[in-house]
Amino acid sequence: MKADQTVTLNLPATADYVDIVRLNLYGIASKMGFSYEDIEDMKVAVSEACNNSVLYAYGQEGGLVEVLFQVNGEELSITVKDEGVSFALPQQNSSENAPTLHEKELHDVEIGGLGFYLMQALMDDVSVVSESGKGTQVVLTKRLTRSEEKV
Amino acid sequence: MTTHKSDKFNARTVSEEGKSIVYLTGELDLSVAPDFRLVMEPLVGDSDVDLVINLQELKYIDSTGIGILLSILKARHSMNASFSVEEVPTQIQKLFDMTGIAKFFAPQENSQ
Repeated sequence: MKADQTVTLNLPATADYVDIVRLNLYGIASKMGFSYEDIEDMKVAVSEACNNSVLYAYGQEGGLVEVLFQVNGEELSITVKDEGVSFALPQQNSSENAPTLHEKELHDVEIGGLGFYLMQALMDDVSVVSESGKGTQVVLTKRLTRSEEKV
Repeated sequence: MTTHKSDKFNARTVSEEGKSIVYLTGELDLSVAPDFRLVMEPLVGDSDVDLVINLQELKYIDSTGIGILLSILKARHSMNASFSVEEVPTQIQKLFDMTGIAKFFAPQENSQ
């Protein structure tokens, strides 16, 4: 596959379309030669980014989510963009404020906040640009590792 | 137009003596979260039965789904009622381990 090719999707910002993003991701990532496990990881990360746009960006009003798949040689970058109200990022955590449940007891657990953690844990790079009034842009990057056979 | 929900999510409940097993299939994501909550609600409230969710045919779960499992864990814990998952696929177990929810599913006294 040649370098620097982009596939763009524009979707209504509703939960019913997030699976379409996963289907496209699967097609593009498998064409690039990503392993099954890497593709599954990316599916989760990309869906979490889309969920954030669906849940927080537009409130009850319909808006659009734009998803760009950028194929740069050995690297896939997925950009998820909305133009809604930007959502607050969780603090770049101090260890006593960990986003996971590992150090928590059940009665201390709060639901939510796991999506960002998953994005960071499952991708090689995650960047979030959020400007008030201009929406949010999440860029998720994964690099091909050549150790496994193509799916 | 009615849009289709994600890949054939389905929750099927099999109730035996003292035990309810919910078999999940397809993709459990944001779009089907309300359906899943609806199915689980009456089951979660019944403290007389052991509640089990079978994940063998579950293809995908997102943080919304994991969040629902967490809220079930909390509810059951506060009622002193049992709740467990069984036949967790590798990819989903990985997410359970990463997020830390796995430790709350650690086998209790009457695991098989």
